[in-house]
Amino acid sequence: MISEVSKNNHSKIVRITSAKLLSWKKDGTGRLKSTILGYGLMLPSLLIFSVFYYGPAVFLGYIAFFHWTIFSNTSTFVGWKNFEILFNQPIFWKALWNTIYYLIVLVPTTTLLALGLAMLLREAPRIRGGGLSRALIFLPHVTPVVATSIIWVWIFNPSFGLANVILHIFHLPALNWLESTRWALPSVMIYTLWHSIGLYTVLFLAGLATIPRSVLEAARVDGAKGFFALRKVIWPLISPITFFVVVLCSINTIQTFSQIYTLTGGPHGGAGGPAFSTTTDSLLIYQTAFMYLHFSLAAAMSLVLFTITLVIIIIQKILADRFVFYR
Amino acid sequence: MAKYLIYSIRALVAIGFIAPVYWVLVLATGYHGAAYSLPPVWIPLWHWGPLMYVITHTHWLRYLLNTVFITAATIFLVIITSALAGYALAEIPFMGNSMIFYLILGVMMLPQQALIVPQYVTIYHLHMLNSYTALILPFAANTSGIFLFRQFFKKLPSSYRDIARVEGVRTLTYIRRVALPLARPAVATVTLLTFIASWNQFQWPLIMLTNQKLQPIELALSHYLQTYESNWRVLGSAALLALLPIIIMFIFTQRYIIQAVAGGDSGAKE
Repeated sequence: MISEVSKNNHSKIVRITSAKLLSWKKDGTGRLKSTILGYGLMLPSLLIFSVFYYGPAVFLGYIAFFHWTIFSNTSTFVGWKNFEILFNQPIFWKALWNTIYYLIVLVPTTTLLALGLAMLLREAPRIRGGGLSRALIFLPHVTPVVATSIIWVWIFNPSFGLANVILHIFHLPALNWLESTRWALPSVMIYTLWHSIGLYTVLFLAGLATIPRSVLEAARVDGAKGFFALRKVIWPLISPITFFVVVLCSINTIQTFSQIYTLTGGPHGGAGGPAFSTTTDSLLIYQTAFMYLHFSLAAAMSLVLFTITLVIIIIQKILADRFVFYR
Repeated sequence: MAKYLIYSIRALVAIGFIAPVYWVLVLATGYHGAAYSLPPVWIPLWHWGPLMYVITHTHWLRYLLNTVFITAATIFLVIITSALAGYALAEIPFMGNSMIFYLILGVMMLPQQALIVPQYVTIYHLHMLNSYTALILPFAANTSGIFLFRQFFKKLPSSYRDIARVEGVRTLTYIRRVALPLARPAVATVTLLTFIASWNQFQWPLIMLTNQKLQPIELALSHYLQTYESNWRVLGSAALLALLPIIIMFIFTQRYIIQAVAGGDSGAKE
């Protein structure tokens, strides 16, 4: 008797359950309801993205073609005038060249060194302390840029810094590092290499881990060894991750700001020195807008940087379609 | 033999990478003028005087607390916005959700340096310059957080949600009481990544703040470096204040951080 009642109840519950589920899945109002709910949940993120990212991106186009200052609300349309002024400034071309120089030296160096480090760390689990060295190489990437730049300012000091001590040990001539127009940008590159290479090494390690052991074994049995195995077997297999590393590194490199500002901005003169030798586009945008308050010029410059970034990504995508081997 | 060669090369490289961080400690706790000695000093002397001075007699503690507050608030908000948006993208078949997906992905593609000028103008017009809000709100939502939660929520069995719906549990309650507690790994990953990004924030506060009272420690360090470059012990001690929390955090969670960074890529390709 009792069991019969509970059985009845049970089947009732099942019936109600399936009816409710069906009504939610098929009903037109259910669809509308879920759309409202979906956008409701998305709202905080969408609001932040549109106010602080997409809005300014659209606004950028507006500022760049107007003569506009932040303190007066009058703005007049000037067309390409801002760009004309910009292209006639030698400092603009200097900054552009510095950015490209920084990019074409740092991106290949970073990629190759990161791959080398990843190969070195690859056998990590088999030797004790492998995980530790991976962690130590990655550590600089999580450190705050200004706090660690301070120590690099000391390392690069020409008279008592560590860098010249090391050069001295190898009987090389001392350098003026951050105080010379020739070596200031390479000094920044060394810092950036130290600070960021752990990230790319870890990405390569993840890529290397996806290569099946059997493939490597087969290559070894067939006599592929050392550099040959690296070039003909491993390199093609990790080309997708290499592409990802190159793109990420290019974007991060173009965006470099904090370490240039800190390393070169000591009491020896404003950031970007000496003699504008470390003034890259991102630094010039900052100085034009926030030190000289030429917002329209800075916006025009930003639009140029925006375009350059886009072009670089597109070129890399085209090259990737040709050379990257997707399994 | 070759094994030991690899072993020692690896140890050397690792020591090289950690050396600059170690030198912050050497300079901060060394004797007065240790920074100028040739040959350089190699061993910290553990003189904590300068660090104690920095903590008790200057504003550095306040700057450190600013950073702590900004970081904590950002993490809290990012988890809320990411969990909500991630849930919507994973579980709710709303109209136009694929368009929204690409809109969120697109934020990552915008070059930050090119946006800094119009972003400043936006903050100016919102009357948010010189406020904590300006340092927190723009970073209260981020793409990787949303995608991490989306991926995690997709893996939850749909029967949980169906039962909750039959029982009449509201979606918000379900997210808060069921989905979010189950997504603990996603919460941890988002917390770690946001912590690193937020703690190391520099350019944004440099532009948005003129009020010294609000500045995070990174910004204060930069101002101090430009005025008193030769005061190495105080500089080193203050840098230590900025470095220690994040390094301690890294020591305990490095495995998860590295996993999150390396796995972030494989997740994006899906």
